[in-house]
Amino acid sequence: MTTSLLRTENFSRRFGGIQAVQECNISVPEGSITGLIGPNGSGKTTLFNLITGVYSPDEGDAYFYDRPITNLSPSQICHQGLSRTFQITRLFWEMNVLENMIVPVRQVGFRALLGPNMFRHEIDRAMDLLERVGLTHLKDERASKLSFGQQKLLEFAAILMAEPTMVLLDEPAGGVNPTMIRFIMDLIRELNQKGVTFLVVEHNMGVVMELCNNVIVLDQGTKIAEGTPDEVQANPAVLDAYLGN
Amino acid sequence: MALQFLRRWWKIIALVLLLIFPWLFRAPYYHVLGFNILLYALMATSWNIMGGYTGYKSLGHAAFFGFGAYLAAIAANQLGWNPLISAPVLAIVVAIVAMVLGWVMLRTSGSAFVIATIAMLLIFRLTALNLRGITKGAPGLSQPLPPWTPEFSRMPFFYYALVWLIIALWVSAYIRRSRFGLGLVAIRDDEGKAEMVGVNTTLYKVLAFGVSAYFVGLGGGIWSYHASHISPIFAFDIIIGVDMILMTMIGGLGTLWGPVLGAFLLVPTAQYLLFKFGASSFYLVINGLLMILVILFLPKGILPSIEEWLEGRKAPRAAHQGAMSMAEMHGLTDSSLSSDKEGK
Repeated sequence: MTTSLLRTENFSRRFGGIQAVQECNISVPEGSITGLIGPNGSGKTTLFNLITGVYSPDEGDAYFYDRPITNLSPSQICHQGLSRTFQITRLFWEMNVLENMIVPVRQVGFRALLGPNMFRHEIDRAMDLLERVGLTHLKDERASKLSFGQQKLLEFAAILMAEPTMVLLDEPAGGVNPTMIRFIMDLIRELNQKGVTFLVVEHNMGVVMELCNNVIVLDQGTKIAEGTPDEVQANPAVLDAYLGN
Repeated sequence: MALQFLRRWWKIIALVLLLIFPWLFRAPYYHVLGFNILLYALMATSWNIMGGYTGYKSLGHAAFFGFGAYLAAIAANQLGWNPLISAPVLAIVVAIVAMVLGWVMLRTSGSAFVIATIAMLLIFRLTALNLRGITKGAPGLSQPLPPWTPEFSRMPFFYYALVWLIIALWVSAYIRRSRFGLGLVAIRDDEGKAEMVGVNTTLYKVLAFGVSAYFVGLGGGIWSYHASHISPIFAFDIIIGVDMILMTMIGGLGTLWGPVLGAFLLVPTAQYLLFKFGASSFYLVINGLLMILVILFLPKGILPSIEEWLEGRKAPRAAHQGAMSMAEMHGLTDSSLSSDKEGK
């Protein structure tokens, strides 16, 4: 039995007349690659935003390592070891690739603040990661000049600089060519073997079924099913949610 | 060759020229002009730390200018402190007040922040006008004249402003190269993302606001001693803040030397127009016109435009290299691509 690394209890959030997330209880086992799927508008991205502190929930709490993180600011949550990517890639467009890698490096206290903007060992670590995703030669290039796929890889590599224990990925395979999807999947598996837990929102079912060992299904802001990919696929409630009944 | 020499030594040359300037041009007019240029260069450099690096454009920095001016004048009158010594200390008070106010105002962004800073300026001005017991209200405050003899005229002010401009530039450069500065630029680029990757954006913004208020408050202190008589209308004039912005934008927003270049271009222009057309506000029309021209033709300012032009000449090569290695990564090394690779 694995322990849960991240869990939400009765998470709810309303935007005007829309109940985006409703009494949502999910729990992500430590060391897993958990998929989060559901039809459009089922509250997946909102749930990400609630967990990472972009929005605060109307009700409910989130726990990371059994510590409540509901009232922390996004930067504090990141410092706890929880990082995320965005559905539409967000980078520091005016900065070069290397600088984009350095910003997320965790820093504590005024001394770190007033130190040089990058230390040798940080650059070395950044270069290792850039090499892993094949962007080494672009380290001095402005982020806005990269191709779409390269930007996606850079965003992923950059959040790893914060040494997260858990990563939330919002559609890592969205709009990416098949070769690159393979590449990203391999990267996720490799990191997972090193102990990083993943929660992945993804519309590409092929990817979810192959990558994830645990799948949570949302519909209308609440969890309707959970299990292994095979179990979820066979669950009639899931089919109803996707196809309508 | 000459270009390389200049690139290497221009800072030293500029410094030497500035050091001998008051001795080459002995008329007090030039000393006042030089002082004004350096004062504005100092304040624009300071404004740039918030407006340029962090991207929060305050239109109310004149509040800190006037606050610093009044603090120095009051300390000179009541305690007998010489402003040249007290101004750097009193500017710390200005910075702390700015950080407290900034902590509130920086919860807004974009145009809301700009409006908030204008409101702050107006509140400062109203306070100065109405706290008659301390500020003497609208007629203003006088303070003792400098102790040195008239033949030195304005020279000490010139050198004093020069020293602080160098310090401000050093601080600005230091911030730019520090982790703090990297965080500020990250906030300018995408504040939400910066927060999400662990940058404590509130702390960063408040600190930057404090630093950027410090040198403006200090400038106000020096100015008040230089002017010897100050009143709320002139000390809390929104134009002072607008000038800082205009100089920074003409020179290059978010660059180290842009604000200095802007001050060296704009202050003499304004002075010339004042001289030519009397003490009318005609120079404001020219300032407005300049602003429009800059936004239309040099939206990034002079220095970044030059840099971009230089960068643009080598860009195609980098893009080509990028495409090549992506192809490599995907195993697309067929003959047409790989044969191209050798030829750079």
